[in-house]
Amino acid sequence: MRSKELNSHSLSRRAFLARTGAGVAGALLGPGVLLESCGPAGSRLEHIKGGLRGANHRVGHLVRHPEQLPPPSRELQTGVLIIGGGVAGLTARRELARHGRSDVLLLELENHPGGNAASGRNTVSAYPWGAHYLPIPDVRNRELLDFLRESGVITGYDKVSGLPVYNEYHLCHDPEERLLINGHWQAGLVPETGVPAAERTQIARFFRLVEELKQARGTDGREAFTIPLDQSSRDEQFRQLDQLSFADYLTREGFTSSHLRWYLDYGCRDDYGATLEQVSAWAGLHYFAARKGRAHNAGSSDVLTWPEGNGFLVEQLRRQASSPILTETVACRLHETPTGVEVLAYDAARQQTIRIQARQVVLAVPQFVAHQLLTEVAGVVQPSQPLHHAPWLIANLTVTQLPQGPGQPLCWDNVGYGGASVGYVNASHQSLSLSADGSKVMTLYWPLCHEVPAAARRQAYQKTYAEWLPQIMAEMERLHPGLTPYVQRVEAWVWGHGMVAPTPGYLWGPDRTQLARPLRQRLFFAHTDYSGMSIFEEAFYQGIRAAREVLGQAAV
Amino acid sequence: MGNPEAETPDLPAAQLTGPTARETQSVLLLGSVFIIATCGLIYELIAGTLASYLLGDSVTQFSTIIGAYLFSMGVGSWFSRYLSQPLLKWFIRLEILVGLVGGFSAPLLFVLFEYVTSFRLILYALVGLTGILVGLEIPLLMRILENRFEFKDLVSRVFTFDYIGALLASLIFPLVLVPQLGLMRTSLLFGALNVVVAAVALYRFQETRPYRRGFAGLMALSLLALGGTFAYAGRIQRYTETLAFQDQVIYSKSTLYQRIVLTKNQRELRLFLNGNLQFSSQDEYRYHEALVHPAMQALPQARRVLVLGGGDGLAVRELLKYPQLQQIRLVDLDPGMTELFRSNALLTRLNQRAFFSPKVQVINGDAYQWVRQDTTRYDCLIVDFPDPGNYSIGKLYSAAFYQELHRLLKPGGRIVVQSTSPYVARQSFWCIVHTLRAAGFHTIPYHCYVPSFGEWGYVMAGQNAHWRPNAGPLPRGLRYVTPTTIRQMLDFPPDMAEIPTEINQLNNQALVRYFEEDWGPYAQ
Ligand SMILES: Cc1cc2nc3c(=O)[nH]c(=O)nc-3n(C[C@H](O)[C@H](O)[C@H](O)COP(=O)(O)OP(=O)(O)OC[C@H]3O[C@@H](n4cnc5c(N)ncnc54)[C@H](O)[C@@H]3O)c2cc1C
Repeated sequence: MRSKELNSHSLSRRAFLARTGAGVAGALLGPGVLLESCGPAGSRLEHIKGGLRGANHRVGHLVRHPEQLPPPSRELQTGVLIIGGGVAGLTARRELARHGRSDVLLLELENHPGGNAASGRNTVSAYPWGAHYLPIPDVRNRELLDFLRESGVITGYDKVSGLPVYNEYHLCHDPEERLLINGHWQAGLVPETGVPAAERTQIARFFRLVEELKQARGTDGREAFTIPLDQSSRDEQFRQLDQLSFADYLTREGFTSSHLRWYLDYGCRDDYGATLEQVSAWAGLHYFAARKGRAHNAGSSDVLTWPEGNGFLVEQLRRQASSPILTETVACRLHETPTGVEVLAYDAARQQTIRIQARQVVLAVPQFVAHQLLTEVAGVVQPSQPLHHAPWLIANLTVTQLPQGPGQPLCWDNVGYGGASVGYVNASHQSLSLSADGSKVMTLYWPLCHEVPAAARRQAYQKTYAEWLPQIMAEMERLHPGLTPYVQRVEAWVWGHGMVAPTPGYLWGPDRTQLARPLRQRLFFAHTDYSGMSIFEEAFYQGIRAAREVLGQAAV
Repeated sequence: MGNPEAETPDLPAAQLTGPTARETQSVLLLGSVFIIATCGLIYELIAGTLASYLLGDSVTQFSTIIGAYLFSMGVGSWFSRYLSQPLLKWFIRLEILVGLVGGFSAPLLFVLFEYVTSFRLILYALVGLTGILVGLEIPLLMRILENRFEFKDLVSRVFTFDYIGALLASLIFPLVLVPQLGLMRTSLLFGALNVVVAAVALYRFQETRPYRRGFAGLMALSLLALGGTFAYAGRIQRYTETLAFQDQVIYSKSTLYQRIVLTKNQRELRLFLNGNLQFSSQDEYRYHEALVHPAMQALPQARRVLVLGGGDGLAVRELLKYPQLQQIRLVDLDPGMTELFRSNALLTRLNQRAFFSPKVQVINGDAYQWVRQDTTRYDCLIVDFPDPGNYSIGKLYSAAFYQELHRLLKPGGRIVVQSTSPYVARQSFWCIVHTLRAAGFHTIPYHCYVPSFGEWGYVMAGQNAHWRPNAGPLPRGLRYVTPTTIRQMLDFPPDMAEIPTEINQLNNQALVRYFEEDWGPYAQ
């Protein structure tokens, strides 16, 4: 019976593909289309409902084969066309609006903007599908602070200290993090329970180093590690740390403790989707040493979060500008014309091709997509080697109960020592309700970095829901033995090109700056790929940078 | 037994048993009267006690139960005429039945109380059934004994033993049985005694031979069931929470949010939420008078009050002493709680039917959620939440929460927050004071002594400092709060004096940590 249900869905999907002619647009199932299914019949997981979703990979085909598009049946004109409604694209749109530009149009291939910061909602809670928090920002990041003030995240500034006062509802409530180690949930993620004294000494030494690096400045007077990273010191003594892997650096500096290395590897996988061996030492250290946020009512290690994750910020960005957004519309090809750029886009909802004439275009899409779109444009720079994009699996589990282990009670971020995933976040954590103790949504984060990205991506795309589910449940059962019967739904999402990883040489090598450089004041680039680090602050920075380039102003 | 004459089972007993055997049998039967009478009265006492424990209002409960019991006994006696030979077989049957019904009455009632809606019906049905069965016993025995004694002797002996048994029961029940065994074990023990009476009769009378086997099996099973339940009584009682508390549990219920348990002894009723004492009827007036009157006496113009938590209606009872109030709105999460305090006779007597006042509006909902969307302005807010023992409740003591309250308060209005013990939990208490200050309030911390809690703390807060301990008249009839006690409550001796603390924020939950530190040593 279960398999029949599944078949009927795949049939309708095939029928849908057939209906859309060349089968091209069939690649464009909106994310709303979920192939609902269940756990394998007769198994312990049979009662679990859910399905598998995915994003980027569907576009690939269309972008690679624009010749299969139907002939254009609509024409549009705009001053600035923004392709991609992720954080960078939305920020560029908002920044242009702030400078009075109203001739702006944004295209987004999904049915809602947000990109990697997408979110969902069910009867229990809203939940993230990707990005889910923003650390307390550096007070020197004025643009970001202004945005947060306008969004009600900052409620004002303290009269005495001048520091921002954050809306308590948006600050991650206590208790924040816990780690399951040696069968016990400890508070905080740095391993403590059962860690030998010698290793503790190393861990303490590492954090002393981080404190020093937070203060460190280069010969140019700039701080060694900042967010946005472009404002970091150019001093070679720091930049050369980008040449070696974080793992090699740690070995060189005598950081051999397995618990410390697990923790740092966890951090790299969590923030970059890549391992200690895969990211550069500069990037690995940046993760810790660039967090210098200050606030009147929070510390530098505090974070801002919402049930829907950064979906909250996306919505704020969207609201703070009024220029039109075309969703379910994918840009497929760009050509330069004497007056600007012509863009062919496909409107998946109406199944028609649109020809858009723009004077300027901001490509707020991943670098590899931008490259495809610009196949016929001259002067586009190629990276010396492809960017490293690790695939991710995200699973949202709706549970009626959570069997608890010993130690610290449920936190916002819950991680298992030595696990393949980077743990789960409790989407209901910010709830103020006393009755929220029952059903919950938990978002499991799983960077697929056990193999080189291309291979991991291929495998991830091929896996079915029935294959993911036991893997997801095994990981969750490791954290909460006996959880399975309480799980109602498991929805999974595969991000084929989850986030860019700062592999050695990318951040401070020649590629990054060259790739981001505008072409002939017509084509501009805004995406975290051009930061080399996929975090909200960088996406925001990229959006502002590109908007200011469009406006002909100096960069931020 | 071992009597050779017994081999001819068809002959009537009286002809076959010798005079000595007859005598011992008579003694045995009279002994049975004694035991039966004791058991009968014990069941009656158990039913009466249980009824007043579980349903409250002990005098009425007790006398209606006894009335019903006696009446059923009459019905049983009347029915006894329909029982015909062999009477001994009937007697044995009856004893087993009484043993089972009476024996299981207490465990059954305890367990059923939590699950059935029409508990009274079941209680009276069980009382009636036990009464009828017990009512059958004595007439039946008298008929069995009628050939062995002269009528005048028979009547005098049977009734003597009956009354002695009753006296014994009425003495050992309150003095030995309830304190030592508890209601459940007592009822099981006496059930077993009834079955033993049946067993003795079965083996002492030869005419029982033809059906001995069948009955022996039945008795063994009954004894096993009663004994087994006796052995597990502790577990069952713990299940119904009788043992977890010092006193008799008269009500316990798990709602969606908490476990409510009500206990009772001769002097007082106590309410526990998740095992934490909420009040004792003995001294709750101190707690609630101190919670309400210092603020209210200073608000002669007050019209509207919001009570957060306090689903027992006791703070509302105090508020209703101010005739100028037009509306009292109470928001409590748990409908199980407010319903209990609307329906239980003991509890409505305690809160003086506060929830039936037309001025009172009861809302079952999340206080935080409510406060965020409420647009009414109040003259007074009474914040009576459980102590900040976990992270969910800790949020209801945060600066963010108090800022919401700020918005709900009319200019010149007052907030009172129950603030745990400034003696035991000094850090916690002052943390609440400082958090209210951080939320922009003027604070007036105070405390009073509630014997069953110890030293207890409150914080009064307002937008200004214009509060006086004798601003207005206090309602008449208060037992604790006077202008003098209010003044005394403001004084903090050195062992409870102010200490610096952090401010309780959603992102640090400082209070929950203080609370754990403060109360931790007491928990062990
Ligand atoms: C699993 C996961 C967890 C993360 N967690 C965090 C976190 O907690 N905190 C944090 O700060 N960051 C997190 N990130 C990083 C996150 O990627 C960034 O914060 C940020 O959202 C990236 O925004 P962007 O605009 O650079 O890119 P994207 O989000 O990739 O935006 C690109 C947009 O372009 C659209 N698009 C692509 N091709 C086309 C086309 N041809 N036509 C039209 N539209 C197109 C896409 O649909 C997308 O909306 C996470 C990322 C992932 C994958």
